[in-house]
Formats: sequence, structure tokens, C-alpha cells
Amino acid sequence: MDNEGKKILVIQTHGVETPTRTYSPLFYAMAAAAMEMEVMVWFTMNGTNQLKKGEAEKVQLDKSSNVTLKTMIQMAMDSDVKLRVCQQSLELWNMKKEDLIDGVEILGATSIIDLSLNADHVMYF
Amino acid sequence: MSHEKINECVIPKDLHYSVEDNTWVRLNEDGTVTVGMTDIAQHLAGPILHAKAKGAGTDRKKGKPIATVESGKWVGPVKSPVSGVITEVNEKLAGDAQLINRSPYREGWVVKMKPEALDAELKEMVTGDQAVAAYKAKIERDNIKACNHIEGSDTY
Repeated sequence: MDNEGKKILVIQTHGVETPTRTYSPLFYAMAAAAMEMEVMVWFTMNGTNQLKKGEAEKVQLDKSSNVTLKTMIQMAMDSDVKLRVCQQSLELWNMKKEDLIDGVEILGATSIIDLSLNADHVMYF
Repeated sequence: MSHEKINECVIPKDLHYSVEDNTWVRLNEDGTVTVGMTDIAQHLAGPILHAKAKGAGTDRKKGKPIATVESGKWVGPVKSPVSGVITEVNEKLAGDAQLINRSPYREGWVVKMKPEALDAELKEMVTGDQAVAAYKAKIERDNIKACNHIEGSDTY
């Protein structure tokens, strides 16, 4: 089965307070990108807080490794996974554009509806 | 086969390398090429859990994935160093993906391909002492730690 070129949208609603729920969605996004799919991760609700500068570095699942959530986010970006954040959710965390790590684009609620309809598959976390 | 070790990472000198993508090419007598991941690539990935190659007959342009490889901490493509058609897939990897870790240049090859533009594409790769120099620079630049070899790895 060849799935090249398909569009996968990953919706991440979990943030730094639940570390074990943060790595996998990014890992699946990277897997889809490696399989030549167009991949976007949409951060909303609590998911938004992991994009605040300085926060992802503090999340480390395996203390014996130097891989942090920041490493995972960077690897996803290096794999051409697009990262987007919900504009409305920024207010929930008192975050402004300048609080976000580089490489993340802000989109509104109507955009996520369009993106969902245009994706071949949506994964929710 | 003559080889060099840099920071415990093995670089056979008879292979052709796409240094940035960490892949190697061996020229076979029947006109096909064998493609695999380098020792540095297996080290960076860590113990590999799954390696899924594109099927025989798949036409690939240089730079497109010929396989996806995943370990506990990394998942990514193996990018084709040449353009051509995949003629054979290493079926052993389906049952034992860590062959790539243990034997990146022998038993752990990924695919064989019939190349379409080999002469031109070989010029974009490096071999011999030039490959050793290129990897030395990469290891220093990317601050790659000494290559780790899991139990049962080929010895050099």
C-alpha cells in the first residue's frame, strides 16, 4: 500500500503537565513524514503550553538520555512536519506570539476546520 | 575490505557514500548497486526496532525514501543515494531489523537497485580517503560521540 503524499493532521491537546502524552504524537508525525506524507501537528488546549519558549526542555521521559520534548519538537520540524498552534488557546496560557518557539505558525479555529476536512486522516491526542 | 575507524565509527573504503544522508552504495558486478545505512547512521538511530523497505519494482529518484527505519528514540527515512528501480529488498530485516546495527555494511544492507544515472550520481558521492575525510569532518561538526556497537556486531 502506497500512502505517499497523503495528508495527516495530528491534534495534540496534552501539555507539559502530562509528559508521557507528549512524545508519541510527535513520533507518529515523524513516522508519517518519513513515509512521505504531508504532516501537520495542531496544538490546542493544554498542548499549546509545550510550545512556550523554555518549557519543552524541562520535559524528559528518559532521565538517562539527553532527549527532551524540545528534541522531539526539533526532530519533527527537521522532518518537515509543520507545527501550528491555535490562536484562541494562546490566551488560555497567557501566551503571546513572541512566547512561542521559532517555527510555529498561529492559526484560528476556522483554519483547523478547513485542515481537518482536507486531511486524509486526523489523529487526536 | 580496507576500512578506517574514526571515533569507533567504521568507514569501509571501497564503498561510495552520500555523507549527509548517511547511506552507502556498493557497485555489484551485475550492474546493480547495494544500498545500506552507515555505521554512524545505526549508531545515531540506536537499536532498530523496525525497518520497512519499499517493494521491489519501486522507482525512486535520488533523495526519496527507499525505507523507513524506527528505533525507540528515532524514526526516519533512508534516502536513496541513487535514482533507479529497487530490484531486491533485504527480507531478513523484516524479522531482525537489528541486522542493520550489527552488520551495517554486510548482512544489514537495505535494498538492491538498478541505477539509472549512476555515473553522474557517483560524482556526487565520496569514496576511499575522500570519504574518510568527509566523515571525519562530519563527526567533528555534528559532535557525534563514539559509535556504539551492540552485542554480536561485525568486528573490524
